[in-house]
Amino acid sequence: MTVLPGAFRDAIAAEFLKVRTLRSTWAFLGGGVAASLLGALILFMLVRAYDAAGPADRLRYETADPTVVTMPFVMFFIGAIGAMLVTSEFGTRSIGPSLLAVPQRRTLIGAKATVAGLIGLTGGAVFALFAFADARLLLGNRPAPINPWPQWTDAIPTVLCSTLIVTVTTVVAMGLGALLRSTAGTLTTLGSLVLVAPIFAHFLPTVWQLRLASVLLPNLTPQLAGGNHPYLLSPGGAGAVAAGYVLLALGAGALAFRRRDTA
Amino acid sequence: MEHMIELVELTKRYGSTLAVDGLSFEVRPGVVTGFLGPNGAGKSTTMRMMLGLHRPTSGRALVGGRRYDEIRHPLHEVGAVLDADAAHPGRTAFVHLACLARSNGISRARVHTVLEQVGLSNVADKRVGGFSLGMRQRLGIAGALLGDPGVVILDEPVNGLDAAGIRWIRSTLRALAAQGRTVLLSSHLMSEMAVTVDRVLIIGKGRLIEDTSVAEMRDRFERDVLVRTPRAAALTTVITRLGATVTTTGDGDLIAVGVDAPAIGDAAAAAGIPVHGLTPRSATLEDVYLQMTDEAAEYRASTEGIAR
Repeated sequence: MTVLPGAFRDAIAAEFLKVRTLRSTWAFLGGGVAASLLGALILFMLVRAYDAAGPADRLRYETADPTVVTMPFVMFFIGAIGAMLVTSEFGTRSIGPSLLAVPQRRTLIGAKATVAGLIGLTGGAVFALFAFADARLLLGNRPAPINPWPQWTDAIPTVLCSTLIVTVTTVVAMGLGALLRSTAGTLTTLGSLVLVAPIFAHFLPTVWQLRLASVLLPNLTPQLAGGNHPYLLSPGGAGAVAAGYVLLALGAGALAFRRRDTA
Repeated sequence: MEHMIELVELTKRYGSTLAVDGLSFEVRPGVVTGFLGPNGAGKSTTMRMMLGLHRPTSGRALVGGRRYDEIRHPLHEVGAVLDADAAHPGRTAFVHLACLARSNGISRARVHTVLEQVGLSNVADKRVGGFSLGMRQRLGIAGALLGDPGVVILDEPVNGLDAAGIRWIRSTLRALAAQGRTVLLSSHLMSEMAVTVDRVLIIGKGRLIEDTSVAEMRDRFERDVLVRTPRAAALTTVITRLGATVTTTGDGDLIAVGVDAPAIGDAAAAAGIPVHGLTPRSATLEDVYLQMTDEAAEYRASTEGIAR
């Protein structure tokens, strides 16, 4: 069975139409916007407190990188859109007509993965740039350590790597969806990966805390970007772990999708 | 043949259950073929294997000489409805069809055409979640017609429909077959099949029991002729001379087996015996079907226990 370029292109176009016409897509985007606005509000309050503090106190402020606060939520919400590409079809049994229209399962799952990747890339870039813009706007010329990016060019690695990790997360979520088929199960797993696990890591002994935290999706961003962070991986190592996530989730999802009887 | 469906020793096993057991048959174009069997006989599983949704354990199912999942843009060749509820309830009828159309390079104009064809144009922009079962069946059929396919496959299309809906499906299917398409529909109701299909494939416990025409089935199970006459004894002698066996009912009527009604009429006329009634009686198709599938039915309720 070969993947036919024309059929593949049509399948991608159909998947885009499907995702655009799902109400949940817009609800999850709204979630991403809300998380970003909340992040901006927190930063705004932090800057006000900073301005009211004395010079000695100001030095004790930690770096106010808004991506640290907002991007895990963005990863969840954009990732959920990727998951829904598959689980919404299993949940409503519309996977049947979809497979009748595109019976080559590799083509269908490939089209869904491509669309998930493009949504992750676009969504990741938009929300990372939003976080960057509100940091520039609210922090202005304030110095380090509160200002993570005294020069705007300092933010480039963080914005790029945030975008990449959101893309990775969205493809991983799509793969999980193909594996688990259920929306509830997939979103719970996704939430555990990007929101709950980082909190859980804090309760481990310090050595294990660092080891676990270093391989969690949200923490791959700073490790991939290099610079100052408490984690263990080099940018290359973080890239390898990110690739591992994609290979594992997408591979298992695609395998399950191709092997199991459907509808 | 281009639009033929062909099954060769198709088998599907789920664990220790043999759902479909070496099924072989052909479905030809130009007629409506009914795929019949009691609940659990393996009809849906067979159709799902034809359409690549389930993998056969062994054997093969070919549509137009190819496996379904080898067909590029298959909606142009095969249209199928397996489940009337298989549309996202949040999408409109138009968008649901547009998504399918887009994946097969079919234009949006064609979506409008099929919506018109099934009578859903006025609700094209309404969400599918608010549709009645009849409307969803029509939407499913619109989806099957999108690519103007040569083969149409429907699983239990009349289930839950009202009389008008059933009549619509029936005339639509007959029209599709008259256009030279291959039409296959499944049902567990013989009574429905008798008025819709030309050929029947009957399966039970995953095996083919019968592959025949409705007319032949009717002929084969013609049973006897009921004869009403004021001169029963004389007519009995005449009919017996024709080589038939005759019994008398409690009302004094005769039941002749082994001879047809015209022969009895002719012999009675020649002998000058008046005949007041002459009724050929055949088993209803329903009876025949139940008789054929009785052994194969997975669950058959005992009426004796209930009657007591």
